[in-house]
Amino acid sequence: MNDTVTTLDETSASNGGTSWRDRLGDTQNLGLIAVLVLAFVAGWVTSPDTFLDANNFLTILKSAAVIGVVSVGMTFVIIGGGIDLSVGAIVALASVWGTTVASQEMGLWGMLFAFLAVGTATGLVNGVLIAYGKIVSFIATLAMLVSARGLAQYISDGQTQIVEVSAFRSLNNGDVFGIPNLVVMLIVVAAIGWFVLNRTTFGRRTFAVGGNPEAARLAGINVKRQTMLLFTLSGLACGIAAIMIVARTTTGSSTHGNLYELDAIGAVVIGGTSLAGGRGTMVGTVLGVLVFTVMTNIFVLNNLTTDLQNIAKGVIIVLAVLLQQRTQRGSDGAHA
Amino acid sequence: MTTTESPILELRGVSKRFGAVQALQGVDLALRPGEVVALVGDNGAGKSTLIKGIAGIHPFDEGETSFDGRPVAIHGPHDAADLGIEIVYQDLALADNLDVVENMYLGRERTNRFGLLSEEAMERDAADTMSGLAVTTLSSVRQKVAGLSGGQRQTVAVGKAVMWNSRVVILDEPTAALGVAQTRQVLDLVNRLGNQGLAVLLVSHNLHDVFEVADRIVVLRLGQLVGDLDASQVNQQQVVEAITAGTLTSVPGMATHATGPGAKRGDDAAEPSADAAESGGAAASTDPTGPTDTDGDRADGETTP
Repeated sequence: MNDTVTTLDETSASNGGTSWRDRLGDTQNLGLIAVLVLAFVAGWVTSPDTFLDANNFLTILKSAAVIGVVSVGMTFVIIGGGIDLSVGAIVALASVWGTTVASQEMGLWGMLFAFLAVGTATGLVNGVLIAYGKIVSFIATLAMLVSARGLAQYISDGQTQIVEVSAFRSLNNGDVFGIPNLVVMLIVVAAIGWFVLNRTTFGRRTFAVGGNPEAARLAGINVKRQTMLLFTLSGLACGIAAIMIVARTTTGSSTHGNLYELDAIGAVVIGGTSLAGGRGTMVGTVLGVLVFTVMTNIFVLNNLTTDLQNIAKGVIIVLAVLLQQRTQRGSDGAHA
Repeated sequence: MTTTESPILELRGVSKRFGAVQALQGVDLALRPGEVVALVGDNGAGKSTLIKGIAGIHPFDEGETSFDGRPVAIHGPHDAADLGIEIVYQDLALADNLDVVENMYLGRERTNRFGLLSEEAMERDAADTMSGLAVTTLSSVRQKVAGLSGGQRQTVAVGKAVMWNSRVVILDEPTAALGVAQTRQVLDLVNRLGNQGLAVLLVSHNLHDVFEVADRIVVLRLGQLVGDLDASQVNQQQVVEAITAGTLTSVPGMATHATGPGAKRGDDAAEPSADAAESGGAAASTDPTGPTDTDGDRADGETTP
């Protein structure tokens, strides 16, 4: 048999990229950095005095930090082929549960545990319903969006719960080498997220499950377990975000995290992660969060009302998805 | 053609029933190292059931399985993989969004002692496997599978199967969706697998492909083994006859009703029982139009010797 079969394969061979480097999304992230620079210029032009102020930067970074942590979890879920609409509600529920009188009596560590445990457990419920109950993630987390916030209202009786534990209150004001604690938390969470996504079996299998669940199953991957863990991870991220929002506001409230699902999904999509699953980058998500937060900040500085801000955010997300669909069609040929 | 060696995988009298349908009945099969065995049969003959049984996806109800002469029980895909049995599925089971290396290691990623992915080692070994199979059609093992042609995808799927020190490779219709040049490429690959001492079971509808690579041809009909033929001793016509009218040892659908001439059951009454199976079998499992389709397919195969 002649071994030198030189084939005339029609479709292929030209677009040979290196996928895990692709995964860093070099060109796309450069684009995001360009957008970020443009946003800074826009901010400087529209409000020259206030935008470039150091305090304003701190405000941007701190609000980016909270939504950023949620977005890291959301990135895993979306790459894994799902969506989590309940993130804002989980943040609210965890913030309330962790600031009840009973929780506060346990002191700083008891509170921290409560935030993380409530977030993780709620995410686990999502995961079990979706993976083993076979409910579409869109529906399951939509139901959780309503019920988690309802439970938060029930527990808090609609009241804002003030944090009395002084060690907790000081979280917000502390810094590490001049970087505010909250921002440090985002950096740590995003770095761990990047690492897990790109350097571990868990991350690799997340891409596989989102890209082709059947192939993943035949390769011996426990797709259900992976799906369940992804939503649990998102819940954990919400628990961490709850700590951050409570530290910032020194309150727990069932109104915390309102529309976080929109902000997080928006940031993830702007960051280049495909809503169809199987594609996405953590670096893109962080840049997406920054772009989104800077734009929001510019709207605020220019006295846009909340209604107008929300309209603008919606438009930005739609534009990002449109742009993403165009570039993806261009880049991988046969794959629609 | 090394039929003297003792088999790696041997099935004796395996049966499988799905509800009222007897999908496999008392099938014997032996796969020897270095031998390419083709498994042929009409739609519904039980080919898929047989390989799914071997793969542990739908374990057999009855019968014995032995590996290297030792009796084994294959209850799930992991049992099969642990023994060194790998299946290349018809739909290829590749993730388009991952590259060649990532697909080849999917589900069995290699990690270092800190639990992190060993990308370089995986890339090197994947490339080695591909060059060991004399695959020259991939420009890079870091290509995304989405950008590969059908033949290249099949090559990746085969590479994935043989990378695990596998002893038995089962290919399910590997050329079904391929053009001429790519079919050539895959058949050469199948030959090389045999030359490397693996036991290869090739499931195919295309008798031309089968005669090109197979040492032995095993024919299933209505869930029963109706032929175990030496490929060099038979021609396509004989195989087609076995596929469409091979002698059945028992007649499905008739055994339970115990009516009609087929109920006599027995090897001496070959012709009547085969006829009865045509009608009884159609009621039990197969598409009634099957035999005519088959003739059409085979005619295709014969025009290209």
